[in-house]
Amino acid sequence: MTIFIVGAGFTGMQLARMLVLERNKVVLIDNDAEKVRHASDALDCTVLEADGNSIEVLEQAGIASAQAFVALTGDDEVNMIACQLVDSAYPAVLKIARVRNYAYYSAVDSAGRRMRASGSDAVRAMYGMDAMVNPDVEAAGAIQRAIEHGAIGNVIDLKNDFMLTTLGVGADSAIAGRRMRELSGVEGWNGLVAFAEQETGALIPRGDMVVNVGDTLGVVSRTSDLARIAQLAQAERETFRRIVIFGADRVGSMLIPLVAAKRYAALWRSIFGGKPAENRREVIVVDRNADRCHEIAERHPHVHVLCGDITDEALMNEEDLYSCDLIVAASGNYELNLVTAAYMKSKGANKAIALTASTAYGAVARKLGIDVAIPMRGTVVDSILSHLRGRNISAIHSVCNRSFEIVEGDISGKSRFAGKKLRELGELEGEFLLLLTRGPDGVTEMPNGDTVLDAGSHVVLIVMSGDAELLAKICGK
Amino acid sequence: MLLSILRVLTYILGIAGSAFILPLAVAMADSDIQTALAFLSPLLAGWTVAAAFWFAVRKRPKIFDVKSAFGVVGLIWVAVCVFGAMPLYFSGAFPSFTDAMFESVSGFTTTGASALHEVENLPRSINLWRCETHWLGGMGVIALAVALIPLLGIGGFRLIKAEATGPDKGKLTSFIANTAKSLWLIYVMLTVIQAALLHLAGLGWVDSLAHAFSTMGTGGFSTRNASVGAFGSPAAEWICTAFMLLASVNFALYYKLFTGRVREVAGDSELRAFAVVVLASTAVVTALESSTATALSQTLRDTAFQISSVISTTGFMTADYTGWRPPSQAVVLMLFFIGGCSGSTAGGVKVVRWTILAKEIVNEIRRIVHPHQVFTLRINGRPGYESLIPVVASFILMYFILVLATTFAGAISGLDVFTALTAAASMVGNIGPAFGQLGPTANYGSLPAALKWWYCFAMLAGRLEIYTLLIMIARVCRVPKTRTQD
Repeated sequence: MTIFIVGAGFTGMQLARMLVLERNKVVLIDNDAEKVRHASDALDCTVLEADGNSIEVLEQAGIASAQAFVALTGDDEVNMIACQLVDSAYPAVLKIARVRNYAYYSAVDSAGRRMRASGSDAVRAMYGMDAMVNPDVEAAGAIQRAIEHGAIGNVIDLKNDFMLTTLGVGADSAIAGRRMRELSGVEGWNGLVAFAEQETGALIPRGDMVVNVGDTLGVVSRTSDLARIAQLAQAERETFRRIVIFGADRVGSMLIPLVAAKRYAALWRSIFGGKPAENRREVIVVDRNADRCHEIAERHPHVHVLCGDITDEALMNEEDLYSCDLIVAASGNYELNLVTAAYMKSKGANKAIALTASTAYGAVARKLGIDVAIPMRGTVVDSILSHLRGRNISAIHSVCNRSFEIVEGDISGKSRFAGKKLRELGELEGEFLLLLTRGPDGVTEMPNGDTVLDAGSHVVLIVMSGDAELLAKICGK
Repeated sequence: MLLSILRVLTYILGIAGSAFILPLAVAMADSDIQTALAFLSPLLAGWTVAAAFWFAVRKRPKIFDVKSAFGVVGLIWVAVCVFGAMPLYFSGAFPSFTDAMFESVSGFTTTGASALHEVENLPRSINLWRCETHWLGGMGVIALAVALIPLLGIGGFRLIKAEATGPDKGKLTSFIANTAKSLWLIYVMLTVIQAALLHLAGLGWVDSLAHAFSTMGTGGFSTRNASVGAFGSPAAEWICTAFMLLASVNFALYYKLFTGRVREVAGDSELRAFAVVVLASTAVVTALESSTATALSQTLRDTAFQISSVISTTGFMTADYTGWRPPSQAVVLMLFFIGGCSGSTAGGVKVVRWTILAKEIVNEIRRIVHPHQVFTLRINGRPGYESLIPVVASFILMYFILVLATTFAGAISGLDVFTALTAAASMVGNIGPAFGQLGPTANYGSLPAALKWWYCFAMLAGRLEIYTLLIMIARVCRVPKTRTQD
């Protein structure tokens, strides 16, 4: 595969690295000499110092024979124009753009959806973009999922009401000290451990692996079983009545409508204070920027917007923010998010979620006592990769600091494994398979040795990052 | 600029003159030649001047800047009031020009305070004209002019804005002439419906029409000395009650209702606040006034009528509220300072201004407890009304300054302080009757001429919401030397 990437920023570099690892031919284009020098030193691919939205530059670099074009500059308009340019000359190329402006993103997204729903075959991609990625939307969605499931860990929603949740194993956990194969005997343990992060590193667990206190497990389960599983792992789960959101910039402002209550707080309580009633939720937003605060207050009448510095002790005491059920640190300052979340938790907040720069901060966040760390940059690469991995792959979620990928896809007829039972696969022994759904409306099941990999099934897999070969074997190209 | 002003002035006088046709026809039907001439001569004069101007300068561009728009509106209103006083004076119905002018201003500003104690002896045509002035002034003579002829050109919206009531004025349709037409059409329809209903309730055609004019304009002039109570018809009283309230609702809401935006109407903050005030005060006064001597239905009818009459700033009477218990009178006095909704024909401070201030007060209390929280002020569910707080607050301050100044004027002229205060509130709020010496059963005829002129000013200032008239005075009185500075 030949893939063009415009923009050698953090995400561009990370994506290029992943793709090079999978032995793709990558052309990385940036107009910043310093970045180009750095990229050509670090990556084994073509790096050009040029304007990515110049069709001449792209033609010279061989866009005609490329399969995909990814626009990742810091400028939405440049990304969109570049895709449109490539689309008008080479419509066959798969074009992906990062669009951070939410107005553009939602307008294009909803218009595209409406046109596809009209059922016409002649529908062209809007602005020539086959796919848009918006890191803010994805991060806000990830935070919302974590909140709805009680902030026990990162949550990935899978097909048919299944989910993958990361859980920390608590000190008094009923499963601590047991071997993997004994877990199925534990009352109420209705889950499959997809991966484990132990002190020695991340691994896909075998039957003889012992669960230790302090491990982080990635557990696939039904949504309804999660409460019991979390209880067994001693990961505390809660519903939140008082949520403090720190930071109302891109991610924060998108998160507010997802979690905010739809009713006004009682007048007497807004004057005299106190906790909201059992079935009510209060959302408090703290931001330093007065204009942004005003905009949020106008847009969301049911949310309390505080304009001030989160590090201002007086403000925190004045509004009694330390007593909140949950602190979500979602500002654009990722380091401050970590510190704030950890500090608030140490001062009495029950749970803490922090938006971090990349997956690398996950371990640090856990050490600081932060319950969930949502990586900002990883999600973009995941969603771009899922578009690039072929039509059989519908989603990719990186876990364990990019050691593994959780892959959702379909088994095509060309798959080498199609029609075989799991136990016939020899050395692999099917540990890569997490869930299997037969047919479009079929029942989703957790696999055992006798599960047959029928062609046409929807599967959820866990593979080593960059193991495109295994993916190709399972799903077919 | 002077040409533009004069042209608009003459056109509008032409239109106001055309309004003489109706009473003129009644006078002819009554074969009352003297009164007919009193209407005919200003009518012909107005038409002649307007026609002359139209032929002379119709090709010139019509342009108004912001400064002159307010000045022109004030000037037009003064001119229209003088014009409307002419038939009253010429017909000999009023003893002096001061009285005729007071009656005319009281009519066009929809106040309804009469200089006469005896109106039943007046010619029917004069009585109809008195009520018609309410109707013309209620929706606004300039809005009528814009609706009828496209004469105001580019500055039209500015003129209408200077005449319309309320702190937040917008267009309903993209063209101001269409907005004015829609509003006048709704106004005419409601008036016709009410006149028909009153006729069904047993009133004569001229009485029905006169009272419909008076009600829809929220004026208060009647063809009877004892106002609507003279007919002794409960049905007529309830009809008037209903239409007084209908006329004090923002007319833009009717437009929304007709275009199917029912949800918007139901969620209107001002309408809700208005409904709460009307229902609550009616309930309280009914409870206070109910006694074994009168039937509850009678008490409720009287209370609802008087309450509606005062809050809609109409000034019709079927019972004398100055004979009520003191707490009931206190409730009525409070209503003196509330007024109807913005964009209606009613006067007063307007409900929406109090709503904005009340919400700001709640925010202010919460701001003390939560000094860092960001608060917004929402009207009709929409944010962004914070910018109106200083506008509304300064208006209310101006309003009370004017009321106090008018109280002082009344007190100098020999009224007792309570009468002077309530009369001032009544004049500035365009209500009509007051308390004490000037209660519902009294009239303003015996007051000194100077005080009548001051009251004329107060009524006009109240109808044009103060600023318009102040700007006119400032422009007229300005020394030419300063003209270069702006």
